Amino acid sequence: MDLDFTRAEQAFRAEVRDWLAGHVPRAPLPSMDTREGFEAHREWERRLAEERLSVVSWPVEYGGRGAGLIEWLIFEEEYWAAGAPGRVSQNGIFLLAPTLFSHGTAGQRERFLPGMARADEIWAQAWSEPEAGSDLAALTSRAERAEGGWLLHGQKTWSSRASYADWGFGLFRTDPASVRHRGLTYFMFPLAGVTVRPIAQLDGEHGFAELFFDGLYVPDDQVLGAPGEGWRIAMATTSSERGLTLRSPGRFLATADRLVRLARSTGADPVLADQVARAWLDAESYRLHTFGTARRLAAGEEIGSASSMGKVFWSELDVRMHTLALRLLGERGLLDGGAPDAEEGGRWLDGFLFSLAGPIYAGTNEIQRNIIAERVLGLPR
Amino acid sequence: MNSAFTDDQLALAAAVGQVLRAHCPAAAVRDGRTAAWPQLAGIGLFGLLVPAEHGGLGLGLVDAVLPFEEAGRAALPGPVAETVVAAPLLLAGDPVLDKLAAGSLRVSVRIGDQDYSPDADLADLLIVERGGVPYAVRPDAARLTLQPGVDRARRLFGVEFRDGTRLRAGAAPAARAMTVTVAAQLIGAARHLLDTTVGYARTRRQFGSPIGSFQAVKHQLAEVAIAVDFAAPLVYAAAFAVDRDLPTVDRDVSAAKAAAGEAAELAARTALQVHGAIGYTGELDLGLWLARVWSLSAAYGGTALHRSRLREAILGAPVLRRWP
Repeated sequence: MDLDFTRAEQAFRAEVRDWLAGHVPRAPLPSMDTREGFEAHREWERRLAEERLSVVSWPVEYGGRGAGLIEWLIFEEEYWAAGAPGRVSQNGIFLLAPTLFSHGTAGQRERFLPGMARADEIWAQAWSEPEAGSDLAALTSRAERAEGGWLLHGQKTWSSRASYADWGFGLFRTDPASVRHRGLTYFMFPLAGVTVRPIAQLDGEHGFAELFFDGLYVPDDQVLGAPGEGWRIAMATTSSERGLTLRSPGRFLATADRLVRLARSTGADPVLADQVARAWLDAESYRLHTFGTARRLAAGEEIGSASSMGKVFWSELDVRMHTLALRLLGERGLLDGGAPDAEEGGRWLDGFLFSLAGPIYAGTNEIQRNIIAERVLGLPR
Repeated sequence: MNSAFTDDQLALAAAVGQVLRAHCPAAAVRDGRTAAWPQLAGIGLFGLLVPAEHGGLGLGLVDAVLPFEEAGRAALPGPVAETVVAAPLLLAGDPVLDKLAAGSLRVSVRIGDQDYSPDADLADLLIVERGGVPYAVRPDAARLTLQPGVDRARRLFGVEFRDGTRLRAGAAPAARAMTVTVAAQLIGAARHLLDTTVGYARTRRQFGSPIGSFQAVKHQLAEVAIAVDFAAPLVYAAAFAVDRDLPTVDRDVSAAKAAAGEAAELAARTALQVHGAIGYTGELDLGLWLARVWSLSAAYGGTALHRSRLREAILGAPVLRRWP
């Protein structure tokens, strides 16, 4: 065991840190859940892509640097420490792309990955349905066979980024006689042919939307993996969503550092101070744990259901940190638009509202605890 | 950066685990306090941190964490950690290390935040800190007072002594190493408690179903799994910090002890709850691990002490540092 970074890793960190110091927008971008903010974030993604920093772990041919997972984690630490904007492309690059790399055809990778890396095409995920939620196998949207492709019918909901995104991905039932996780197929589709109804969130903005499909035609080459194999393929995606990629330690480390600075500047009573110290340390624990996960993935192991442990840990840590920040700020926390030192240069209040979604999305934490109990510990269903 | 343990580190831990499964069953913890000592000596455990010129392996604390996780898993009794980890650091350069490396010298140690000397009645040599200075004391020059305590296989003694040899090594490095070693044992004990309790919940039936199929039970055990899984990396990182004497070492040691102690206490509390009344009896071996967790959780500073140090280190330090 050697927890020192290699020279190459240190050099990469220095390069990323220097570039970000010179390029991160001084004023926070408008929220990506507004039309204006969405496009501003797209421009920032393009700027990152010019430097091959939008997808550092991808192969060079698709716009990346072929960096290893440890370098990716270093990039993330520097990215969030620099106060850089949230990643509007994250559904595509962190959720869909790993699936394209492992299950897509060469043609699909060439068609979709470079545009994703440059943010020319920003992706929305369309997992949930009104009656499904965390019970993904209960979905009822269907696709029927057509000449050279499929016709999509049904409704998706809570579709993150869908209000303004260009493309979506999701599961549809292709075998009408199938039940639960059998007979599902993984589709990629342009949102231009879909009726999108933005849904206002707790913060009043439109980060997610409902999608209505009324016979949208999707050619065969927009099916990811074999028809009927959608569940297995989607599971690979959701475990990366819960696990390594969606919520990297870098983001929590940055939040934890800001929280400590906030506690120092506002003064904290011993009880809150203890909780702040603990949160800082939990972020550190998540970081060390993730280095271990990255090492196992790099060695060819699959983390599978163990990713559920990380999901519960980081989502609850995030809520704890933001709750603490609001407590330290007192009444100001719920009022003030410019709380000092908040995440992404924005407001702690925004971060708090966003953190509350963590234990709900990507499979609620109740579901995650069932997964841990059944698939990691081996308890009976 | 490579957070993986080396093949050698894993092999040593596996060897210790194998020895303990064969020679330190629960019955041996119940009835004796020096189980598996000769067998552990046979695989070289006592020479782990002893330099080669004294017949040891000259390794570091990172090499010791997994073997001591195994010790915790087995609720291994006796002053093994004190002899393997603390004594070589405190007795650096002393010819007695030859004997220690061979497994023929038992040492009980009371330094740092440890209030009493564990297993002092079994020791061939006592090392006791007084006024910040560690002294080596022969058992016949000391008066031991047994303290009533929860763990009958880890007895605690007050030690009074008249004549002792002032040791040149400071107590602080050994105390850090011991604190991490205790944390590693707590992780091992927690893993054992989780495994045992999962096994029980799979087979014990109530209301016509295995109790492990009830969500209320599942979620408690999932919480234990998460706590243990996220505490362990802090312990490994603290061992690395001790070996490298990093600037963050004191904070890292406190982090390891606090997190491992809390995870193990949660594992113990949950194990007892899920086992129900049978877990409360002395008929089950479960109590051996519960007692060990409570005993080690309080050893070398309890959670509250280490949490308050962490608060000071994180909120009071001029600069926040992470390693690497």
